[in-house]
Amino acid sequence: MSKRAVDMTFQALYTLTDIRMILRDTAPVHELDDKQRADAQRLLENLERQVASLKQEMLK
Amino acid sequence: MRCGLGIEARQVDEVAINIDPIQAGGRLTADAMKAVIAYGDGYSVCDNCRKPNRLDYIAKPPIASFHKEVATWLNMDEARMVPGARRGFQAVAHTYVHKDDPVLLTSLSHYTEFLAVEEAGGVAREIPANEQKIITPDATAEKIEEIVRDSGKPPVIAFIDHVDYQYGNMHDIKAIAKVARQYDIPVLYNGAYTVGILPVDGKDFGVDFVVGSAHKSMASPAPSGVLATTSERAAEVFRTTAITGDVTKRKFGIKEPEMMGCTLMGVTLVGMMASFPHVKERVKHFDRELANHRIVTEALLSVEGTKILSEYPRKHTMTRVDTIGSFDKIAETHKKRGFYFSSALEEKGVTGLIPGATKVWKFNSYGTSEKQARYLANVFVEIASENGLTVS
Repeated sequence: MSKRAVDMTFQALYTLTDIRMILRDTAPVHELDDKQRADAQRLLENLERQVASLKQEMLK
Repeated sequence: MRCGLGIEARQVDEVAINIDPIQAGGRLTADAMKAVIAYGDGYSVCDNCRKPNRLDYIAKPPIASFHKEVATWLNMDEARMVPGARRGFQAVAHTYVHKDDPVLLTSLSHYTEFLAVEEAGGVAREIPANEQKIITPDATAEKIEEIVRDSGKPPVIAFIDHVDYQYGNMHDIKAIAKVARQYDIPVLYNGAYTVGILPVDGKDFGVDFVVGSAHKSMASPAPSGVLATTSERAAEVFRTTAITGDVTKRKFGIKEPEMMGCTLMGVTLVGMMASFPHVKERVKHFDRELANHRIVTEALLSVEGTKILSEYPRKHTMTRVDTIGSFDKIAETHKKRGFYFSSALEEKGVTGLIPGATKVWKFNSYGTSEKQARYLANVFVEIASENGLTVS
């Protein structure tokens, strides 16, 4: 298993942590303002890339 | 969802606004959560421990520089991280208090200060709070004089809370410390509700020790805290071991007995370190927290019969409220009795109130955004209106 797979695992966990913080900052109704929505969009796209890379590394 | 056998995943702060008085300042930053992920293994900070083999000398992760930065931030000379403020009290009491020594506490002191004194064999002498639940310099002087008359000697140390846990009131630590110094009494500043919440300057306050609770007020995992002191006192409370085994002749280098060698050996310490830059920044903006808190207290006071028992206007975001004349009246006839209040709060996404409490309770709004503070304020008003209380 490559170091890249390990890095991608941590990066994905950290991205999820940032998403978790948005949930905390907007509790209890989770209505996102424009900035939070943009942040969430960016984080989710990063997460998709990180999971895709992880998949590629682990299943190759 | 579970994170282990019988252990529900805790999602309290993701699904609700948490106003628990002791939890607000200890909520982790994103960086601390990331550090928890990376450093959760037991002795995780010991990968690069080199001689002289002591926690506060480790350079990678940068634990040594963190200790120096914390001391500087508190304007003290040396600091050690400890497993909670109580272990700071314990180290200081064990160093200075001997059997039957009088120790100056206050009528608002936290129980762990009493236990630290008890364990060391000392006698607890409390400065009484005035009617406003404030510890004054005059009352401090009177109590010291009383102790000198009773015991023939002044207290060996004073433990003074800057902001107390009962009312969240702010006491004039600088003036109180000045009185204590006139009797050569060293002062321990209990900053459990201040270190990491608002600016703290130990030397300006004129105190010998600054104790903080990282899991209460520095966005850190528990148990964690800080004990900082002056160079003079560091030689006493952070003295190094002198013991030798009689068979092996072993000695233990520069380990510090009051710290039991190394203190926070993993995730707690790295969690503190990861939050520290954010904590340093947030103390500069405590005015915003107070402004948000005001939104909530004003809403509570708009409910007829509600009183704020803490000093007012508020100087801290942890407040004691008396709702005997408002929300408690509903409890008398409500089918859920006193549990209706916490139940209604939970239904509206607010948690942290002791279930069943409708008479006197505390809450802490620290860390809420203005939007969340307005939501919280509105929830209290809504519950009052829904239950027929008068809202002005």
